[in-house]
Amino acid sequence: MLAFVARRLAQAVPLLLAVAVLTFLLIELAPGDPIVALAGEDGDAAYYAMMRERFGLDRPLGERFAAYMGRVLRGDLGFSYRLQQPAVTAVLGRLPATLLLIGPALLLSTAIGLALGVLAARRPHSLGDTAVSTVSLLGHAVPVFWLAQLLLLVFAVRLEAFPVQGMRDVRLDAQGWAGALDVARHMVLPVTALTVQFLAPIARVARASLIDVLGQDYVRTAVAKGLHGRVVLGKHALRNALLPVVTVIGAQVGFMFSGAVLTETVFAWPGLGRLLLSAMLARDQAIVSSMFLLLTVAVVLSTLLVDLLYAALDPRIRYG
Amino acid sequence: MNHAATRRSHLPQRVLLPLVALALLGAPALAQDALGNENPGHEAPKRGGTLVIGIGQNPGHLNPAISTGSEVHAVADSLFNGLVGLDDQANPYPDLARAWEVSDDARRYTFHLHAGVRWHDGEPFTSADVAFTFQQVLLRYHARTRTGLAGRLERIETPDDLTVTFVFREPYAPFLQQLNVTEAPILPRHVYASVADVQNAPENLAPVGTGPYRFVEYVVDDRVVLARNDDYFKPGLPYLDRLVFRVIPDANTRLLALERGEVDFIGGLPAGELDRVDALPEVTVFTPNSGSGGGFCVMTMSFNLERERFADPRVRQAFAHAIDRQQVLDQVLFGRGRVASGPIHSQLAFAYSDDVRAYPFDPALAESLLDEAGHPRGADGTRFAATFLHFPAFAKYGEVLRQNLAQVGVQLELVALDRAAFISRVFEQRDFDTNVISYCNNSDPAIGVARVYVSSNIGNIPFSNAAAYVNPEVDRLFAEAASQADVAERGRLYAEVQRLLVDELPVLWLVETQFSAAGRAEVRGLAPWSGSPAEAAWIAR
Repeated sequence: MLAFVARRLAQAVPLLLAVAVLTFLLIELAPGDPIVALAGEDGDAAYYAMMRERFGLDRPLGERFAAYMGRVLRGDLGFSYRLQQPAVTAVLGRLPATLLLIGPALLLSTAIGLALGVLAARRPHSLGDTAVSTVSLLGHAVPVFWLAQLLLLVFAVRLEAFPVQGMRDVRLDAQGWAGALDVARHMVLPVTALTVQFLAPIARVARASLIDVLGQDYVRTAVAKGLHGRVVLGKHALRNALLPVVTVIGAQVGFMFSGAVLTETVFAWPGLGRLLLSAMLARDQAIVSSMFLLLTVAVVLSTLLVDLLYAALDPRIRYG
Repeated sequence: MNHAATRRSHLPQRVLLPLVALALLGAPALAQDALGNENPGHEAPKRGGTLVIGIGQNPGHLNPAISTGSEVHAVADSLFNGLVGLDDQANPYPDLARAWEVSDDARRYTFHLHAGVRWHDGEPFTSADVAFTFQQVLLRYHARTRTGLAGRLERIETPDDLTVTFVFREPYAPFLQQLNVTEAPILPRHVYASVADVQNAPENLAPVGTGPYRFVEYVVDDRVVLARNDDYFKPGLPYLDRLVFRVIPDANTRLLALERGEVDFIGGLPAGELDRVDALPEVTVFTPNSGSGGGFCVMTMSFNLERERFADPRVRQAFAHAIDRQQVLDQVLFGRGRVASGPIHSQLAFAYSDDVRAYPFDPALAESLLDEAGHPRGADGTRFAATFLHFPAFAKYGEVLRQNLAQVGVQLELVALDRAAFISRVFEQRDFDTNVISYCNNSDPAIGVARVYVSSNIGNIPFSNAAAYVNPEVDRLFAEAASQADVAERGRLYAEVQRLLVDELPVLWLVETQFSAAGRAEVRGLAPWSGSPAEAAWIAR
């Protein structure tokens, strides 16, 4: 098992290097440089020439690439002049806020998605099944920014049940338990928006997988033995049906980060998504590279976790 | 010329004088507060409270002297001061300088500084701070100040701690308009003198200023918290205990937060929402000429004169006659603003002239001009296609223009680009037929207008002479107007340059836009046109 984990992590190294190269090219080959984001508007030719030289933007692409890769290999992900801090500091500083959205959204979409999937699979093609499929697909199909705006209008503006934006009430500035409660209140709407987005694929896969398992011989045998329906479902069918569901959940982690870009923008949530968006617009190479490398690590780790979960769920799977 | 006698020396007098005048005249219960806002019922300002301002972009750093970025100034200007302030009409009033004299030839500007001003860390503010800031920071790193002044300024003299004199090589008229906190914020010499690299210093994230508020906390992408400067040199100001900037990138969310009372003041309202918000009793809408980062802006369609088709004046005139600018004003800006007549904003009264050629909406005339220029309609009714580059936020301009030009057989292809890509494609690659840019005049045509038309400003320079227009006479008139001390004479020169530009039409001026801002009705004394909008703000609740 340990050897397996070590091998998988070693395999991630070339992947991370490839991502570092691609990120560099993505920003460098995109039209435009970061000069206005760094220095502002209304300068003359001499001013922008000086600033380009100052930030090394006048050097040839190859030279900049060599310098960049040299830094990456030394573990230095660069400095964001725009934010005047090391890129890693900026990225890690915003990570907790995003995890605070993604963690609960992942748990909730898994729990609700599984429940809906089971509900639908028990009587396929019934009214309940159709309702579950329609509602979950609808939730997945609506653009997250639209859903977020809708949630704001209904629950924040009309019903005044939750705050419109941010992570905490800046007037209240509550600390301790009151502070935690304040953050929790601010989390409700963005977490709901993300959950609705991600619950559909989980519900759909859970339903399909469960229907498949419920049709297999060993389940029929269990029913024939006279086992209670709940025991058959919970103890025998669901566990086997979970494998594809776990795969989908693992794959969601990457998508969750991208969903967070829009959700964080609409709810003014100070997380990684917004940092990435503003860094892209400002052509902030250091931040964008660090973000993509962090996302790659997250995806690598979540796939690894999924593989390990396989073994836990299915005794036939063993890694050596 | 001595401004000292005629100018009000500091803010409290600015409050007092209009109030006294109104009382003597037996005016109705309507007065103006410190910064010219209506103040019904002569309310006495209340002290205390937290004002929350919703801003669209994270400021990055908080050193306003090394950037012209509006995101930096929207926050950092409240921490600092300039030598002068500028009102909504860009008229100077005293800030760090209590008075000033300008020599008759407009070459020597002498400023008398307020005594007893202290930096937020308790050190005294002196003329040495002013000289240091200009010499070591502004003239090197502030794009507009460097471009406007570096070549013109001969020396800075500091005869004593409270006097500073700027000596120019040649007369320079718009200097006072370049000294407010947005154009020339003054930094503390004792903090920055030992800093090796001003553009990359921890001090830029923990600023020490003279401003009405001092720095408390900055959480990237979330908030900047400032607190009242108890030692502020303007007696009685500021009224608020705390000023908090919340970063809310989405304009709709910003507005909802204002309506819910989570924030007290926001800039940049969606144009379509202005009328609805204006009708809300709990909200006051402002449409000032300036905002943080710019002022007196004219939405301008540039033609690429390096392309043969647009080098022909008949094609440009045809575009001018084909585009219904009133429709642009009505549909894009919902009537808020004004159809532009030329390069200078009509609110810059001393320089504006309407004695220019008019190009009324006349599609038939546009068609005959295009025929004459050798662009007949083809079999499908199209004469030619032209690209139109724009920021995503300006897409609606493109839609109206596309409809208008389709009527005369021109197919406008809209290309939406983010800011960095737009700059590269227009100013570096020169790969466009037409584009739209919001060019801001700022407080003087020498600062904001000349750069769009002078031939020395063509090239890979963001938001410069996009048309690549070259006219030695225009270059001469702009240079002369900048170095002319007499305001009437400057006005005459600018009238001449407007007549010339509108005749030649290197660009088409669509509409004069307004900034938009909104505040909770209980907030008084806001200065929405200023970089430091809350200096005299207070909350009546």
